Amino acid sequence: MGVTTAENYKALREGRSALTSYLSYSGRDEDNYVASRFTIEQQKQLMVEGLTWFESLVYSSVKNALLDCDIDVSSQRTLFVISTTKANIEHLQTSEYDTLEPAESANRIASVLGVVCQPLVVCNACISGVAALVTAQRLLESGGYDNAIVVGCDVISHFVVSGFQSLKALSPEPCRPFDIERLGLNLGEAAATMILSVNKPQTVSWKLVRGAIRNDGYHITSPSPKGDGCACAINYVTEGIALDTLSAVNVHGTATMYNDQMESKAIAASGLSAIPINTLKGYYGHTLGASGILETIITMHSVSHGELLATRGFSEIGVSGKVNISASPVSVSKHSFVKIISGFGGCNAAVYLEASSENKEDNEFREDCDYSVAHSVKITPYSIVVDGKQIEIDTSTDNILADIYKRHIGSYPKFYKMDRLSQLGFVASELLLNQEYPRLQQCADRAIVLFNHSSSVWVDCEYAKSIAIGDDYFPSPSLFVYTLPNIVCGEIAVRNGYHTETSFYIIPNKDENIMHEVLTSTFLDDSLQSILAGWIDYEDESHFEAELKLIIKSK
Amino acid sequence: MEELILELKKKIINALNLEEMTPDDIDTDDALFGEGLGLDSIDALELIVLMEKDYGIKLANPAEGKAIFKSIRSIAEYVSNHRTK
Repeated sequence: MGVTTAENYKALREGRSALTSYLSYSGRDEDNYVASRFTIEQQKQLMVEGLTWFESLVYSSVKNALLDCDIDVSSQRTLFVISTTKANIEHLQTSEYDTLEPAESANRIASVLGVVCQPLVVCNACISGVAALVTAQRLLESGGYDNAIVVGCDVISHFVVSGFQSLKALSPEPCRPFDIERLGLNLGEAAATMILSVNKPQTVSWKLVRGAIRNDGYHITSPSPKGDGCACAINYVTEGIALDTLSAVNVHGTATMYNDQMESKAIAASGLSAIPINTLKGYYGHTLGASGILETIITMHSVSHGELLATRGFSEIGVSGKVNISASPVSVSKHSFVKIISGFGGCNAAVYLEASSENKEDNEFREDCDYSVAHSVKITPYSIVVDGKQIEIDTSTDNILADIYKRHIGSYPKFYKMDRLSQLGFVASELLLNQEYPRLQQCADRAIVLFNHSSSVWVDCEYAKSIAIGDDYFPSPSLFVYTLPNIVCGEIAVRNGYHTETSFYIIPNKDENIMHEVLTSTFLDDSLQSILAGWIDYEDESHFEAELKLIIKSK
Repeated sequence: MEELILELKKKIINALNLEEMTPDDIDTDDALFGEGLGLDSIDALELIVLMEKDYGIKLANPAEGKAIFKSIRSIAEYVSNHRTK
């Protein structure tokens, strides 16, 4: 649709959609799909030597965004956050994949851009884009950085298309968000960049005021029917704001049966039924890691121009929560909006943005909260240590995690359905939380924030086997779901009834400083009293490590 | 029919990772979803894969599965009437 915001906006105003039909990867007619993709010509223009297609798109997007602002990328005070769900996954089965994993890929992009700060990859399923904005906003607010480059990107691949097909989530035609006849979502390919700065720039006049991430604590793929997590996120970011001053809510609106219904309930529950809402999925499809950033940018731009774009594909209301949605553009006179988004792992996120007026003062900084460690657990293939005490382990079994589960936990048969990363997270969190007395259940003040290096590589390889082209081509929905590493957070949230933030970050190595920085800034979410936090990485049965801590806010 | 029922139980235990369960633990007429065995929406999708893979039965729409996947008996009846392999 274009390489600049203005070009994209122009195309959308003309009612153009990038959604087109594509032939299947599998060769079967029934797997043909509708998506928005770059043309071969565009790919040729955007490819950068030495970078993959995903990396080239990220690079081009950031490079273009930087043209408009005067920030020093080579400063340690310029943060670099990448939002993606599957990065270079189409190269999974090639010999060079270890150099293409998300963390390595992020490093390579950073070095080509000349960014010196260690990149932070946010991998929170479909909410990644908004989660990345929330993370960056908090890190800026805590004073460690002057600027943040926040880029979101995902590319279309056989891996991802077949996965969504196995979940029966794809619409065979251009999607119809919130419509009575909606049939599912379309996938899309995009990269989008937002530059955040603590110093009010001359050119731009928007302020990202506040963000929140909330988990349903309900199910790892089905959203809470009442939209509980989504409503909590909206309520947090709009607290203290007169709701009638909002111009709009840009919703996720993927056009799946469950998502749109859930969002309608959350909007009604938050008192936003009268506020105009829209979704951009009918133009771009669901662009996964790019979606939250792309849609926030377009909404800022359109509200600045006094309008909210039409919801393309919508015609007759097909949700039960009262919402103000339209198939035509709507004029808006006010200058603030909320962006919401939801994703697998039960996570939801919201950000509140407002146009900053001339005479408003600069950003205020908030002091980070320190924390103390209440309990800790460390699990490797060779040992388990809980609060400094060694626990016996049988290293001779085929599956150590199942052995730990049987000996020390039990009575949670869902354990056997999980992938290895989630099993590791589950046993580690159980051993950790069993140290707490009384053990907290159903709480709204404890986040789960986990980090790793290898994303979901073990289950990625397992899922890839199920999509090898041949007579035995049966993409597995239950494996695909776990190819999002943040599902481990969702499993722990469901098990314990935690309804607050769940976040997953991928970083190049187990860097305590980066983790500490992210954790202290996470406590800027006022609702939090504690975080189940730490490192959790699973490559294969002899290479895994969980080091989790229960940390408590000190002041 | 009894043979098919036992076969289905074994296949479902395996496909849905119902570890620690044996065919004897699954009542042929009990509800598979909600109460009863407590399967969820991902299990339903995995059952759709199983139907196609092992019996050549294609269910394009997960909503179709609702009546078919009511119990082991209802699956067995559907399979014996519609199987192509």
